[in-house]
Amino acid sequence: MKSTCFSFLAASLLSAILFSAVPVTLRAQTKSPEDTMLRLKAALVLTPDFCATKTKKGSFVSGKETFEIGRAACAELEPALKGVFFSLTRTAAPPSPEEAQVVLLPKFGDVEATKTLGAFSDREMIVLLEWTVKDRSGKTVWIETVQGSSKHHMGNTFTHGKNVKLIVEDSAKDAAEQSASKMSSSPELRKLAQQAP
Amino acid sequence: MPGIEWIRAAGVFAALLLVQPVFVADKFLDYPVRPAGDYPVKTEKFGLTIGIQPVEDLKEQKTYFHTELSPKGFVPVFVVIQNAVDGDSFLFDKSGITYGSADSSPSTPDARSKAGDKLAVVSMATLSLGGALLAMKLISDASWVQENIVKKELQSKTLSPGTSAHGFVYVPVPKNTSREKILLRIPVTRTGTDESIVLELAF
Repeated sequence: MKSTCFSFLAASLLSAILFSAVPVTLRAQTKSPEDTMLRLKAALVLTPDFCATKTKKGSFVSGKETFEIGRAACAELEPALKGVFFSLTRTAAPPSPEEAQVVLLPKFGDVEATKTLGAFSDREMIVLLEWTVKDRSGKTVWIETVQGSSKHHMGNTFTHGKNVKLIVEDSAKDAAEQSASKMSSSPELRKLAQQAP
Repeated sequence: MPGIEWIRAAGVFAALLLVQPVFVADKFLDYPVRPAGDYPVKTEKFGLTIGIQPVEDLKEQKTYFHTELSPKGFVPVFVVIQNAVDGDSFLFDKSGITYGSADSSPSTPDARSKAGDKLAVVSMATLSLGGALLAMKLISDASWVQENIVKKELQSKTLSPGTSAHGFVYVPVPKNTSREKILLRIPVTRTGTDESIVLELAF
């Protein structure tokens, strides 16, 4: 009788320990978005020139194409970076030092798109986006190049324009997501966030 | 018989449509990366090590770029920059790289896609009168080659402690003649300071 009672108590105790430990472990593993956010007031500088960037590729023989990469990037960058910084403001020109703790300056590196003969063959586009992040004093604290890419069909005479728009938008979206990921995991920006008042 | 010629041309066109570009992105081999200190040409300063490997062998150029770059006036140089400094980060901006012979003023290498642009120009220049269809196929393939050149390029980045950056810079060289010794100057800046360190490598 005594041993049964002891076994029952031991089992209850063990299960209590186990079940109480699970939520604690889960809580420890799951970080809320605010935990991963950089506690910095950031200004994202998207100049009119940057947003108007167009890349022309091809020739009379291969067919000329225009990729409106600036417009696509300007639509994607702000929403993607909103989740990285505690505060993010979009500006058309670099702000004054009191307006932001960090200034995010993007620049297009290179834009390439492959060509295929078949309308249903996949072509690939890559967009190189170079980031410069400056602190209040104007010193560069972080630079990085991200490569956004996407694949879409080449398209025929009727669908080519739509496919070009899609490949540009998806490449810009990928570049924006990668920018967010790189900034979020940057030790230099984390250090700056910890030092910030 | 002109009719047969047309049928033949249509047949070639149909066959080309079925063929995927030979140089699909996945088929371009990545250049093997080794620790910076393992390269024959290397330098070290303040815990930063840079190792370079000029890829001058045409067979090797074919393997990694599916084209020969030296006859087009470029030598691809593989660069590895490693930060072994504990606690310090460095900013590497590729636009600061310069090159030149010991007795000349330094220039900026065509680290951008100039090598790729040149390739497209060459592809266009060597078009035969054989037919526009084959030309289209060449252009289609050249665009994959061009993109691969850009993808493999060394890019600007922050070198956090214990990290490295690697990629190619495409240094212009004289075509079809032996070249002089080239001095590559790679500047890096310690994060949060204006302290610039220039590392020089001759090859």
